[in-house]
Amino acid sequence: MIDFTLSKSQGAARDYAHQVAMEEMRPISLECDRTEKIPDSFFWNMQRRFWAGAAGQARMQAQEEEEKQDNVLSILSQEEMAWGDAALSTAIPGPGLAAPPILSQGTPEQQMKFLGPYMDGQLHWGALALTEPGIGSDVAGMSTTAVLEGDEWVLNGHKHYITNGARADLVVTFATIDKNLGREGIRPFVVPQGTPGFVVGRIEEKMGLRASQTAELIFENCRIPKDHLLSGRESSKKAGFKAAMGTLDATRPMVGALAVGIARAAYETTCQWVQQELPKGFPSHKRREIEQELEETRQELEMARLLVWRAAWMADRRIPNSKEASICKAYAGGLVMKVTAAGVRITAPGENSESRQLLQKWFRDAKVFDIFEGTAQIQRLVIARRLFPEVDIP
Amino acid sequence: MLNFAPTEEQEEIRQLAQSVAIEQLRLQGRSAEKRGDISPELMKTLTQTGLTTPFPEEYGGSGALEALTYTLIAEELGFGDGAQAMNIIGSLMGPLTVLLAGDTNQQHHYIAPFCDAQQGHLQRGSLAFAERTGGYSVGEISATIRSQDGDYILNGRKRDVLHGERSSPRVVLVRIEGTSGTEGLCALMVPLDGAGVRINHDEGKLGLIAAPSASFAFENATVSATCVLGKPGNSGVIRSATLYNILRAGVACGMARAALEYAKDYAKGRIAFGRPIVSYQGIAFMIAEMAMKLDAARLLTWSAATSWERGFDNTALVQEAEAAQFQSVKIAKSATIDAVQILGGAGFIQDHPVEMWMRNAAVME
Repeated sequence: MIDFTLSKSQGAARDYAHQVAMEEMRPISLECDRTEKIPDSFFWNMQRRFWAGAAGQARMQAQEEEEKQDNVLSILSQEEMAWGDAALSTAIPGPGLAAPPILSQGTPEQQMKFLGPYMDGQLHWGALALTEPGIGSDVAGMSTTAVLEGDEWVLNGHKHYITNGARADLVVTFATIDKNLGREGIRPFVVPQGTPGFVVGRIEEKMGLRASQTAELIFENCRIPKDHLLSGRESSKKAGFKAAMGTLDATRPMVGALAVGIARAAYETTCQWVQQELPKGFPSHKRREIEQELEETRQELEMARLLVWRAAWMADRRIPNSKEASICKAYAGGLVMKVTAAGVRITAPGENSESRQLLQKWFRDAKVFDIFEGTAQIQRLVIARRLFPEVDIP
Repeated sequence: MLNFAPTEEQEEIRQLAQSVAIEQLRLQGRSAEKRGDISPELMKTLTQTGLTTPFPEEYGGSGALEALTYTLIAEELGFGDGAQAMNIIGSLMGPLTVLLAGDTNQQHHYIAPFCDAQQGHLQRGSLAFAERTGGYSVGEISATIRSQDGDYILNGRKRDVLHGERSSPRVVLVRIEGTSGTEGLCALMVPLDGAGVRINHDEGKLGLIAAPSASFAFENATVSATCVLGKPGNSGVIRSATLYNILRAGVACGMARAALEYAKDYAKGRIAFGRPIVSYQGIAFMIAEMAMKLDAARLLTWSAATSWERGFDNTALVQEAEAAQFQSVKIAKSATIDAVQILGGAGFIQDHPVEMWMRNAAVME
């Protein structure tokens, strides 16, 4: 039955994440953005909070409720975290984006081997390396290669824009085993940090999400054991490409949830500014216009959130959700830019207060949500291709 | 707990509504527009299916209304033909308001005729909501009543009242003089004529021509206290106003979906420069955008419908229902305009229904 109310465990996950966002993220948000650095205390606090206490309880409760809801619980938390600070939420210790391909394409042994170490209570990160200087969404043109030599894969190539790339304990790296196969030649490999031939290049300076680490990774005759190839579950040729795309189906709702979180933060802060900081003598008809605009924003936020929830709910039920994942990401990615830009515009007449600084930071953070995990245009292409499976839309 | 799947029963009812929509409403779109009304035969079929009699069984209906189920029906009807769908929903809101806000006597008197096997399909109800100074928002209702010598004195104007001329019950949403917002709302039934009552048939409409409508003007009209549904200010009035908005949203989603599907089919078949036009991103992206915004509006509408069903906080419900209506009508308008654009010259010609749909959506405001 159609129901938009959250269960106990879903509500608990959201409330807990909101508390963490308020207590751990908002207080250091502007400083981390300015310095592009995150204090170690943040990492340890997050580690402590998420491996103990209420998060654990929420997980227990979720198990009692039986239905699989990893994706829903995750996006509920992501929205709150991004409400706190989206850059900091990308840096929370854990396997991160490395987890989905390992879980979907790894054998049980590989899952145990690669994900087991993340449970030891220490600080660990994971990363996913797909993008290259020459390729973004067009993965078929990938130039990083993997060649089997005896019992080892030898990787050569160059990846960039890799979130947590320099601090990740392992990087799931996509490479082609045969360029002639196009996207069907693409495979995911697990590359541990410290492997000879695996070098971290420069850390990018960015307009937004400045506290998030964006690294360049270079592979020069990087040798990894044969069993670091993740394609244990499916032997078909398409497994590698599917791993890459399947990852996107799971992560696009998360990116959508982050976008909704930032947009909500900007909406709330703009509303507060209008109530508390509107300059004296501000014309009342202009104020009414602003309030009207904010009400429409509230409605759009609600729609974006429901689209994200739907895509995650489908993922939990293992219902194919490529179209819905792209829809929620495209909608939320566009919305967050619109809302943050409105916040900057509406508060322009004000004094230089903290709410204005936050709005300006979120405005800078927002743009990338219409770019990474597939640009707005790529999302529309995915949607159109799903709407017209029988037509070739180049 | 979050769930996006309709129940099996809802799915069955939706499919029934869809088959009527495709086999009847869609095919009769033009003829209904020419006639300026839905055909009596079609209304008879609908009454037989039970789709237009969502009233308690004691009044002869097909069972009490569940908001989400009816929202699904409204979308299907709107998918068939928006104007005939509004014709049906507009009529239904009369007896539904009596059900939600009226007392038992009023319910018996006004609802039972709609369920009559022989004559029920000829009954029409109406609900006057929007005014010259506003839209479908209860906060914008400014028509008032005040009591005087045991009766009520009614003032105000209403526009676009579907079936306003020939309806019974003819329900009007007003507020008790001196109240504002969601407070003091009343529903009362007004006669066709009487001192201070002026009802004019709407002529030369842009769209929704198959849904006849009228404008009301009340100037110190005297209405008997027995014509007020239930107690003045009872919460059933808000339940009715919000339900109207939710169902209007449902129809609007259906209108948008009709435009989307029609444009999709056309864009697949129409070849330009050797390729189907949908293979060009300029067209493909327009269609993707329509699909995306329709999904967004539909979820907002479903969310409002489930809130209506839970029904505890009227203020929040008003906000949700009006948001659903606003956003759904917005996508209905843009999707129908875009559909005409995708059809190009063919869209402008009346061989295709999209120009009619564009006019229909434009007057939902």
